[in-house]
Amino acid sequence: MKKRMSVRARTEAIWGLAFIAPTIIGLLILNYYPIFETVWQSLCKTGDFGIGNTFIGLENFRTLFHDKEVFRTLFNSFRYAVLSLPLTVAISLVLAVLLNRKMKMRGVYRTIFFLPMVCAPAAVAMVWKWMFNQDYGLLNHMLGRKVNWVTDPAIAMIAIVIVGVWSSIGNNMILLIGGLQDIPKDYYEAASVDGSTGVHSFFHITIPLLSPMLFFIIQTGIMGALQLFDLPFMIMDQSSRAWPSVKTITYLFYEYAFEKSNRGYGAAIIMFLIAIISLLTFLLQKSEKKWVHYD
Amino acid sequence: MKKRILAGVMAAVMVATMVACGSSGGGSAESAGGGNDGSGGKTITVAIWDPNQLEGLQKIADEWGAANGCTVEFTVPGWDGYWTMLEAGVSGGEMPDVFWMHSNNAAKYMGSGVLLNMDSYIEKDETIDLNNYFEGITELYTYDGAHYAIPKDHDTIAVIYNKAIFDKYGVEHPTADWTWEKFAEIAQQISDKGAADGVYGTYCNTGSNQDTWYNIIYSYGGEVISEDKKASGYDNPATIEAMKFVAEKILPACPSPDSMASTGGDTMFLSGLVGMICQGSWTVNNFYTADNASDFEWVMMPYADVNGNGQADADERCSIYNGLGWSIYSQTEHPDEAWSLVSYLSSKESQIKQSELGVTMAGYIGCSEPFAKAFGDMDVSAFVDIEEQGRLVFRPYSKSTSIWEDDASQALVPVWSNPSLMEETLKEIAAQMNKTLAEE
Repeated sequence: MKKRMSVRARTEAIWGLAFIAPTIIGLLILNYYPIFETVWQSLCKTGDFGIGNTFIGLENFRTLFHDKEVFRTLFNSFRYAVLSLPLTVAISLVLAVLLNRKMKMRGVYRTIFFLPMVCAPAAVAMVWKWMFNQDYGLLNHMLGRKVNWVTDPAIAMIAIVIVGVWSSIGNNMILLIGGLQDIPKDYYEAASVDGSTGVHSFFHITIPLLSPMLFFIIQTGIMGALQLFDLPFMIMDQSSRAWPSVKTITYLFYEYAFEKSNRGYGAAIIMFLIAIISLLTFLLQKSEKKWVHYD
Repeated sequence: MKKRILAGVMAAVMVATMVACGSSGGGSAESAGGGNDGSGGKTITVAIWDPNQLEGLQKIADEWGAANGCTVEFTVPGWDGYWTMLEAGVSGGEMPDVFWMHSNNAAKYMGSGVLLNMDSYIEKDETIDLNNYFEGITELYTYDGAHYAIPKDHDTIAVIYNKAIFDKYGVEHPTADWTWEKFAEIAQQISDKGAADGVYGTYCNTGSNQDTWYNIIYSYGGEVISEDKKASGYDNPATIEAMKFVAEKILPACPSPDSMASTGGDTMFLSGLVGMICQGSWTVNNFYTADNASDFEWVMMPYADVNGNGQADADERCSIYNGLGWSIYSQTEHPDEAWSLVSYLSSKESQIKQSELGVTMAGYIGCSEPFAKAFGDMDVSAFVDIEEQGRLVFRPYSKSTSIWEDDASQALVPVWSNPSLMEETLKEIAAQMNKTLAEE
């Protein structure tokens, strides 16, 4: 049954809208307008400065599906996701459990692990680039051997994964600690009465009850990993022979849209990536019922 | 990712707007000062990307401002920020009145009507005769027969070496009378003797085109692009010979490709790990201000004795040159004043002054002599002398330079690790480049 709004409710609604207007306007201008613009551009042969775009239908996508570079860079993005995500989740989960106990200097440790989140990604990348330097870098100096961290095609991706994992465990750890603190202690007590030990409880109580948080971390993690751009861009030099093995699809987009001034094709590449991420998200949402427990 | 770029663009728009607001405000405040030719009190905004040049240019521009009762305001957003600012400025309509143009982007800006067609102004103005400027630069800023920028400067290449390293290993200092063979030989000597200390003779990466291997190609009589800009020169036999020389003689004297991909050439040179490198005149200040600047010495580019007569003929000693241009926004509110400023900056007197102040060498032919002495104890005459004693070749370009130049650097990466691939790779580069050129 629909009721007419009272004067008071209407005033409230108007004020409510007024207060969120800055955000709405920001979203419209900064997010939604560009999304539609990108869709449109992906169907165009774009002119300089957005002048003189000509509609060419699906031509950009036809080129895209025959472009080996697209699939190679997409493969690199996936490789990064597959290598970094399990590590990130596993390490932050272990850290979260360890730092959720009563222990000395707990705050200090939590801060240390969270600190990378506070640093600007570009600054983080610059410092790691210096540490990875094969001739004068801190890492090789400490190891006493010469590892070509960012120039050996077999190792470069691992170097990028190390930095990626290092900089994201802090945030995930804090989220998981939050999740852990929501689990009532009684469950563990009841289980221990029935003879469950620490490890057994971890897999049968902690993991299932933490699954909503894990699901959230995995989902945002996949999206973030597939959109990786800044780390390889900042850490690697393009004259490195390892560059083709870490060049990601978002970098390919950047190359076409901004360096080669081919916005149309760049837009098509990014639409393709959006489609893939949407599909993955859809599949994840479907799988949610199978393993995520909300109570 | 997209959001971040967008934020960057928005920030640039905001900066551009603020600059524009600031300038109109400044204009009204200055109007009390009055002018003597009716244009008084206006503020002309100028955008450049190189902070090293700001001081000298501001000085010259202020002279013009004082004579014409105008204020000149410079914005210096740095190379990347510069192009983002202009890009956003074109769409948003907020542009500086006068700004630099560069060979990478000139075709795009000239073809979109962003730049003021200067033909009618050039005709009326007695200070400007385009024959006085370097031909390659004038040509670069010509589109469909119309001129869109006046040459501001030109830059050349020279070799800088570290005397301390040469003396330590007992290698004789280079003199202007040297061939590329000699260059490679000296470099190899340093690499051999310095192996234990991790010191190398020279540095040449896949991206060191303008400062190193383009010069070698042209000295050997090769070319990167044909004169009519329709065909690649990478499959030219002389080009192949020159690049094979790079692969077989220069690269062995360089740090390993992996090291070069990790540490830049200037950094290694400044840290005393490399004996000599080829560098452009736009970088002089970098070396001039270094702690051990007194160890550094500039020497003219080597020549390639192609005809084997044992001496340097002008054709055999090449330096790539490039030059910026002063251009004006086509929709500017003050086209006459903007032109007057550009004309003043491009006049013979200002061009000489620009050299004297050590800003850059001149775009006006024969005005660069003072640049040689602009850096105190550091003699940079090697950049100026090659104008007389060698051949200046304009940096190879076409409408799609950014595409084929990048493709070539990328394709050369495997060759740097395996020099025997040079010839076949060059042929592949040529084929790819011809395809790009055909699509222009």
